[in-house]
Parts: sequence; structure tokens; C-alpha cells
Amino acid sequence: MSRNVTRWTRTLAVALTGISMFSVAASAAELTVWCWDPNFNIPAMADAGARYTAAHPETTFNINNVTQDEINQKLQTQLLAGVSDGLPDIVLIQDDNIQRFLQSFPGAFVPLSDSIDMSKFADYKVAAATHEGKSYSLPFDSGVTGLFYRSDYLEEAGYTAADVQDITWDRLIEIGKDILAKTGHPLIDMDYNDDGQIVMMMQSTGQWYLKDGNEPNILDNAALRESLEVFQEMAQAGLIKPVSDWTGYTGAFTSGEVAMVPQGVWITGTIKSTADQAGKWGVAPLPKLNDVEGATSYSNNGGSSWYVLASSQNQEEAIDFLKTVWAEDVDFYQGILVNQGAVGSLLAAREGEAYKASDDFFGGAPVWQNFSNWLAQVPSVDYGTFTPEARLAVRAQLPNIANGGDIDEALKAMDSQLRQQMQ
Amino acid sequence: MAQTRLDRNEQINGWAFVMPALVLLGIFMIYPILWSLWMSFQVGRGNSFSFGGFANIQRLANDALLVQALLNTGFFFVVQVPIMIILALLFAVALNDATLRFRGLFRTLIFLPCVTSLIAYSSLFKSMFSGDGIVNQTLMSLHLISAPLPWLTDPFWAKIVIVLAITWRWTGYNMIFYLAALQNVDKSIYEAARIDGIPAWARFWHITVPMLKPVILFTTILSTIGTLQLFDEVNNITQGGPGNGTMTLSLYIYNLTFRMMPSFGYSATVSWVIVAIVAVLSVIQFAFARDRRRPS
Repeated sequence: MSRNVTRWTRTLAVALTGISMFSVAASAAELTVWCWDPNFNIPAMADAGARYTAAHPETTFNINNVTQDEINQKLQTQLLAGVSDGLPDIVLIQDDNIQRFLQSFPGAFVPLSDSIDMSKFADYKVAAATHEGKSYSLPFDSGVTGLFYRSDYLEEAGYTAADVQDITWDRLIEIGKDILAKTGHPLIDMDYNDDGQIVMMMQSTGQWYLKDGNEPNILDNAALRESLEVFQEMAQAGLIKPVSDWTGYTGAFTSGEVAMVPQGVWITGTIKSTADQAGKWGVAPLPKLNDVEGATSYSNNGGSSWYVLASSQNQEEAIDFLKTVWAEDVDFYQGILVNQGAVGSLLAAREGEAYKASDDFFGGAPVWQNFSNWLAQVPSVDYGTFTPEARLAVRAQLPNIANGGDIDEALKAMDSQLRQQMQ
Repeated sequence: MAQTRLDRNEQINGWAFVMPALVLLGIFMIYPILWSLWMSFQVGRGNSFSFGGFANIQRLANDALLVQALLNTGFFFVVQVPIMIILALLFAVALNDATLRFRGLFRTLIFLPCVTSLIAYSSLFKSMFSGDGIVNQTLMSLHLISAPLPWLTDPFWAKIVIVLAITWRWTGYNMIFYLAALQNVDKSIYEAARIDGIPAWARFWHITVPMLKPVILFTTILSTIGTLQLFDEVNNITQGGPGNGTMTLSLYIYNLTFRMMPSFGYSATVSWVIVAIVAVLSVIQFAFARDRRRPS
């Protein structure tokens, strides 16, 4: 009998040890994160992880540098095959690309609006990741746009900073012609394989390539037409230096070749990477389209958000982490703003110290305050499911338009390529 | 009796040896091929698809982008393959000259491109041909052009860059086949021709080329298939742009599957278009090969 008891105790002890070890293992979560850009997203996520680990030492982070293309490709392939092995807990996805994931793979992502108050974030960011009434993203970096300009070139051409504040694209073309004539610098540079310029101009009016996210909005889209007209005029006047890829794109302004960069705020880090140009730059709001109803000076280009995969074994930790750091920690946002130039979408973060500081690189202007004010005014659009198709269709016509091609014909070609791809 | 048992054993052993390979072939080749054939009749987005009959084939007929991809692929086929074959042939003949010094070195140098990494050389071409790249700078400093050529920002010039890139990479590969074939040509034929006073170009045209005809056909078929599958260069150098100017069939399939809303049924259909084209071109080339063999 006593032997039996001992045996039972021993078994029980072993079982208990097992269970307790198991429970330790369960709470010691390692959160795997996929994101791109070792100068921007990765350090920002690492910083957030460090803050969370300080309070929750049992949670560790494994942050992987995965390119955006690879993320799309791996997610698409694995979700389709129904295999979740090797997928991360948290993944970064660009805003204009998320709807197709939400719609083609229902149930693949955890709806975060159940546990996090989405009214704390900029509306247009939340709207981009809302599907059937639920919001799936923890909105991260904003793609709020600005017109970065070389104040020294502007002065050389006889203009002041006030001359580029709240202007129209037509006015900018006039200024650009003067700059080209007097300084020899083209106004901007552009990769014709990227329609970012068109996207920015169009979204500033609240229009998008698609109507309600599903129907092509090309032929009768006044904002798109005017954006293309402006683009054609600039190209024909020699105001655009064509480049062929991202390196060429950034090279043209870091080397001082072009006078201006209309782009999302995330380009700040790249512009500031040339320390010898400190004080020679300024930032203004994006120019407005001239004759489109609802035209504003505020737009968005790029920008991405964090998602929790439904296949994650550590969903609770992942959500808790996003909630405590990314949705509440105002100090955290000051750090990534100063270090990475990351303008987050958490509205409360704007009240922090760093957002109020002025920046000597931009001639002592309160650039972050400006960007965060503009952020709240960006018109939201429904990116829908077919944005990648629409963007490919538009890009296909850009070289032709730049060479003076007929815009009506180009619009028809875009519309027909998009309709073909949407089947 | 013993004989039959031996026969049977040999048969069993034979099958046992072949079976693993057959099973692997079945799982990794035949099953996916049949599956893709089945897929090509499915319509729908992501993983919600249903049988669509001939819907994908009808979609093919109205697909302007597919036509563009076909035309681009055709351009590469018609322009690049002949240039590469002729260059490879000339290199091979030149490097087969026994009196040439450092032959081994030259052969290695010309062959080296085709063992370099696709990504590495694509990135290199991309930077060499960019607006301020070394190519434009060199041409400008030699006063051959007055303004930089829009190598990668104009659809026509982008095609030229792709042609140059593939030619650079694959010429050496084809040259090796010709060199090997030239080693087998009897030197006495050339000696006889030389004694008869035939000039060098005529020896090349009337002796070398006819002798190498089977190898030329072989390399042409290989290059045809390679061109129809062209993907890495266009994906890395131009991404199919600008303006779809370098979109190829393979890149289009990739875009349909990974860059756009996944439409697996339709991309399977487009893949079968390539299969059909390869089949037709191969039949034509085999027909040529048969014709040439008959007189000899």
C-alpha cells in the first residue's frame, strides 16, 4: 500500500512538474514579427519590443527582415495552401494592399477593434483596414505627404518659402520652370514604374482608382485626369528627371540634383541622411489640384500597419503588446520619431515633446507638428481589393503620357487593363 | 525454369530500381501538371474557386496585357536569339584557332557570365544602365551621344537593355557547344579547302556552318525555351516596365499569382499557353532538323 502511495505521489509529482513546465513554456511567448526596412520599421519594432519586454520579461521578440514582396508572396501562398507553419505572429502590411488579404482570406487575421479602441488613431488609417465593420490593423506609420523643397534653389530662382505654401500644382509648375531656367535643376524626379505621384495627387481630393473599392473609377475620375494632365505638363516642360529605381530616385535628391520631393513623411529619414544639406531644406503642404471639387493639400502615400495572424499561438500576448505599446505609449512614439522619423498614427502621440520640437535641418521649422496636423486632415479613401491591379494598369501608361500621349486614350487603356485583371 | 525465375528476378529488380524515381516523378512532375490542367478550368479569387468551363480561355482572348507579353517575348525571341547564336558561333570559330595565344583565358572569360548569379548580374546591369550610370557616362564622354539615353525609362530602350543582358549572359554558354562541335570537325577538310584557295569567309560559310547545323538547331531550341521562360532579368532590371514594355509571359504569370489578387485558375491557363507555344515551335524546329539530315 505504502509503495502504491509512493508510486502515485511520484506520478503526480512528475505530472505536476510537467504541467508547470508546460505552463511556463506557454507564457514565455516568443513573438515572431515580419517587417521590412532595417532603417525604419525594424528598429521601431525592436524599440517597441524592448519596452514591452521590460515589463513582461517572459515575452521575447524575434524580428525578421522580410521584404514587402516576400511578405505578400509568403502570406498569399501559405494562406491559400492553408498551412500556417512558419507564419509570424505579427506582420506588417502596406495599407493599400490589405483589403485583398482581408477579403480573399476571411478569418486569417485577428480583428483588433474587439480589444483596442480604434478612435485613438487617424481615421483614414483605420478605414484602410476595416472589413465588414471590424478593424484589423494596429495603424502604424503614416504616409501623410508633404512637399520637401530646397530652400536655397528656391531663393536662387527669386522665391521665398511663403511662395510654396498652400499653392496649386499649376503654380508649382510656373515656379518649377523658373527654377529650371535659373538654376538648371529639374523640379522633381520620378520613376515611371511607380505611380506614387499620381496616387498622392488623386487621394488629396478623396478620390481613388476604384469606386467603393470594387468598381473601376478611371474614365470619369476628374481627379485622376487632372493628376495625369499635371504630370504630362511637368514631364513635357522638362521639370521631371526620369529615374529607373529607388536608388536612382533617392539619389537624385540626396545629390542635390532636383529641387523638390513631394512624398510621404517617411522619406524624411532619407532626406536628412545628407548632413551637409542641413538648413537647406524646407517642407510645405502638398500643392492642390486646381479644378477638382474637394481638393485639399493633404494626402497619403505608402504607410503600413501591424496585423496579428489568426494562426498565431501567442495571440493574447501579441494583442496585449500592440495594445500597451503601440496604442498607448506616447513616449515610445517620441523615440521613434526622433530616431527613425516615424510619424505614427496614434493621435495622442502628437502631444509629446518630440512632436513639438523644431528641426534645424528644415531651417528650424516645427515640421513634425505640421505633419501631424496635416495627418488629421487626409481624406480617407477605400483602397479596395484591386489596388495592385489598378496601380499596374496606371503605371503601364505613364511613359506614354510623359511623352505627350493622349490622356483620353491612356485612360481608356488603363480602364480596359484594370477591368481585364479584375475578372 | 531457372531461366524464367532469373527473368522474373531481373524484372522485379529492374522495377524496384526504377520505382522510387517513378514515384518521385509522379508526385513532383505528373501530378502538378495534371493539377495545373485542372486548375486552368477554375475561376475565382484566392482559395474560393469553382469550375468555370472555358471562361479562362475566353478571358485569354480579350487580354491586351497577354498580347503585349506575347509581343515582347516574340521581340526577344526574334531579335536576341539570332544575335546570340551568331555571336557565339563567331567567338567559337575565333577561339578554335590553334595559333591564338591565351585561348583558354578567353574561353573562360566568355563563359564566366553564365555561371554568375542571375540576381547579381541583373543588379549590375540595372546600375550600369541607369540614367547616370557608367554606360551613359562613357557614351557621353566619347561624344557618341549628347544627352543620356533613357535606357530604363523608355519602353524601347528597356527592351534593348534586356537583349544586351541576356546576350552577355548566355553567349558563352552557346559558344561552348560550338567549340565542342568544332573539335570534332576533321582538320583535313579545312586543309583541302585552303589548298584549293577558298577564302576564310567562304570556309566559314560553306564548311563550318553546315557542319555545325545540328548543334545550331540544338542551341536554337534551348534558347527558344529559355526566351519563353524569361523571368529573372525582366523582374530584376525593369519589373516588366516601363509601360509594360518588357512584360514577358513568365513575369505576367508571376504577377497574376503573387502581385495581384491571386487568380490561380487564370495564371494556370496562361502557363498552358507557354506550353502550347513551346510545343509548336519545337515541332517546327524538329521539322527543320529532319530536312537538313536527309541530303547527307
